[in-house]
Amino acid sequence: MPATDPRNRARRRVTRREFLERAGLTGAGAAALAAGIPSRRAVAQQAGAFPEWIPASTKPAKRGGALTRASAWDPPLIDPRLTQSVGLYQFAGLTSNRLVRYAFSDEASGPSDLGLKGDLAESWQSDSANRVWTFKLRQGVKWQNVAPLNGRELTAADVKYCFEAYAKEGVQTFTFQEIEGMETPDKHTLRIHLKSPNTLFPQNLAEPIALVFSREVLEEDGDLKKRLIGTGPYILKEHTRKVRIVLQRNPDYFDKGRPYVDEYVILSTPDAATRLAAFRTGQSDFMWLASASEVETARRTNPNAVVQSYHNTLAPFGLALAQDKPPYNDVRVRRAISMAIDRQKQVDTVFEGHGIPGWGVPYIYYQDKAPTLKELGPWVQYRPDEAKKLMAEAGHAKGFETTLFYYEYFPQMTSQVQLVQQELKKNLNIDIKITKLDYTTYYGRYVEGKWDGMSWGFQSGHAIGLDERTYHYMYSKSTKNFFRVNDPVIDDLTTKLRRTSDRAEQRTITKKIVDREFDQVLRMWMPYDNGFLVFQPHMRNVAAGALRRTDGYGSPTLARAWIEK
Amino acid sequence: MQKYVIRRLLLAVPVLLLSSLIVFGLMRVMPGDALIALMGESGNVGEKELAKLRKDLGLDRPYYQQYLLWLWQMVSLRPGDSIFTNEPIAVSLRKAIPVTLELAALAMIIGLVIAVPVGVLSATRQDKASDYAGRVVAVAGLSIPDFWLATLVITFAAIWVHWIPPIGYVSFWDSPWRNLQQFLLPAAILGYRLSAATMRMTRSTVLETLREDYVRTAWAKGLAGRIVVYKHALKNALIPVVTIVGGQLGTLLAGTFVVEQIFALPGMGRLTVEAILYRDYPVVQTNVMLVAATLVTLNLVVDLTYAWLDPRIRYQ
Repeated sequence: MPATDPRNRARRRVTRREFLERAGLTGAGAAALAAGIPSRRAVAQQAGAFPEWIPASTKPAKRGGALTRASAWDPPLIDPRLTQSVGLYQFAGLTSNRLVRYAFSDEASGPSDLGLKGDLAESWQSDSANRVWTFKLRQGVKWQNVAPLNGRELTAADVKYCFEAYAKEGVQTFTFQEIEGMETPDKHTLRIHLKSPNTLFPQNLAEPIALVFSREVLEEDGDLKKRLIGTGPYILKEHTRKVRIVLQRNPDYFDKGRPYVDEYVILSTPDAATRLAAFRTGQSDFMWLASASEVETARRTNPNAVVQSYHNTLAPFGLALAQDKPPYNDVRVRRAISMAIDRQKQVDTVFEGHGIPGWGVPYIYYQDKAPTLKELGPWVQYRPDEAKKLMAEAGHAKGFETTLFYYEYFPQMTSQVQLVQQELKKNLNIDIKITKLDYTTYYGRYVEGKWDGMSWGFQSGHAIGLDERTYHYMYSKSTKNFFRVNDPVIDDLTTKLRRTSDRAEQRTITKKIVDREFDQVLRMWMPYDNGFLVFQPHMRNVAAGALRRTDGYGSPTLARAWIEK
Repeated sequence: MQKYVIRRLLLAVPVLLLSSLIVFGLMRVMPGDALIALMGESGNVGEKELAKLRKDLGLDRPYYQQYLLWLWQMVSLRPGDSIFTNEPIAVSLRKAIPVTLELAALAMIIGLVIAVPVGVLSATRQDKASDYAGRVVAVAGLSIPDFWLATLVITFAAIWVHWIPPIGYVSFWDSPWRNLQQFLLPAAILGYRLSAATMRMTRSTVLETLREDYVRTAWAKGLAGRIVVYKHALKNALIPVVTIVGGQLGTLLAGTFVVEQIFALPGMGRLTVEAILYRDYPVVQTNVMLVAATLVTLNLVVDLTYAWLDPRIRYQ
């Protein structure tokens, strides 16, 4: 019987997909009615009620107490040469220091304050060509009083050794191979000669991953997988995989009187419901929640919890195209695909209105306010009719078949991928076969960069600095250029940016890079959530700054945290 | 009996060899690479460094060499180190096995304490309200997935009683009370799930046994109901139950991942699943072989138990 027969249509069986859809809608509706769940719009409005910044406490800090956090991440290994995993850097920045750092939350004027401060270095300056950088180290900094360092003084030779090791092997080679040579004119001076001028070089040394580790441990063990001894405010007392990380106050920390908290314990808690339960029962002092509705749920049991509305300054995920091959090497195809995707719909539905439409370079480097969708240019607007015309011009009026692989970093990502699949089919007749992969397979395939079709791509989560976010990720020959950008204008602009020391000029060039990226659709950013950090009411000086969450790469700010109890 | 045991042990060798071939082959067929995973969420490493690491770890050798080497390591009880963490696998196992064993033992005890009495009650009061209640509980136990039940329990415990088991595993020997607090809830959830199948089996086998002639004779002799059921019927009814329990113990040792994940317990399940995700070949291979050997042993123990339960059974 043909499917057009009205009787057949009326009596046909419900498909599995329809059944799930209807059951889901009925269930969600019933649950919403029963529980009185507010609408998404209402939730988004409530989200706006939470502050973006928690200023430092004006009261004198109190010493003592312990902080605990139930953490999703478990460091697979603790060798900073071998991993950039947040699992390690959720605490490594507390055991070890960098030469320079970003402002802690009690020093910063707001989340976007990216002023550099001295960490192990007291001062730094470059020559006029920005090729030679001289760092004057703080005097009297001691390694933690743990064998084999036993509290000896840190010298410039230690830092030199460490940077040479980074350049030799591991995940930071691209950054440190930029160094042509180093000299130590005295115990507290390190002079770094770069292969080419880079005004942004200190930013690279302020990245949360650029930690100074101890020479003795590497020489004795052959790697840093078992011991992490630094100069930082906390000593790593215990690291039991899949159980806990225990940090104890370093009494010899160079910043006298700090840290205030005696102990910081990170409990490996892979399940999200358990982390929330741990916060509710006081077993965890702070946590990350992705959506406003989750915050509302948590606040029903913990009404005094302090919430910081975290506003992302970039989106780390986007639709990556094999743009070195047809059909994606045609800018018209890239623009058409971009215009066929309704980003606002993703923000409203997937992220409950509390998300950003998506861009790759942190906006704080080129303008004061987060760009609106409109400001991101014509190719990001949802204009399916114009997208169709462009596809026809490019010779793909009938669409084509392609593939997309991804790893589900967070549950909403699957919804985003499916929305994109649906819209590209509906608007451009692009038939996408989606493959959801496990992390290892996805990661290996993606970074290898030999895939065809599409991928739900990423850029690194740890990077704060402008150099990393532009030159490192977009320069055609960079090993971190995962989106396979190969644009001479971008190469020229990112190189020029490194040679410009004037802040205003840097902003202008950065804006040009961003405009070029959007105009040529070199990286097709997708919406991303903003999220929330939720703290127990007794925590002080713990606010997260832009690009550095207190529970993740921004953990060093806990050196200034204290507990009011 | 001795001959039977030796024959069964000899038969276990090809089973284990086949298991080792399958797990070794599957791990190599899986896409992805431990070294890439090692580089973390955002790392990038050049081909040269990867090649060097592969060589250091022996992953550049032909598969047959890798297999034989691993086999030798297993036979000589030196399973080597984890590719991912560098930790000796024996050390990882020493940490994980007690967790899973404790969880499995507690779950098994809880499961049996629920299953056998309820199963017997259900059988002796067939088609009464208590029988229906017992069957509903059993069917619910079989139907409710443990991840859902565990999530529900932990969420509502936090909301209603403001308590959840303490996170951060401590061993029984370090702090017995804290350890029991950590294990009782997950063990109860696993135990309830296990009890469902055991209870249904107990009910049906006890029902069957109660209809046997010798039981009728026992009733005719005027023995007390308790003695008829527990001394005469139950023991004979337990053989199929023991088979089920043996299988469940094997499942418990290998399949508590979800509950370990939710209650943050560092057992064998988490160790194995994480190793699979990170393509940590030696750890996965060793764990699978350990589970295979345990299952083979458990099956043998279960078979030997039959003779104790039913003296008519002879091994040849």
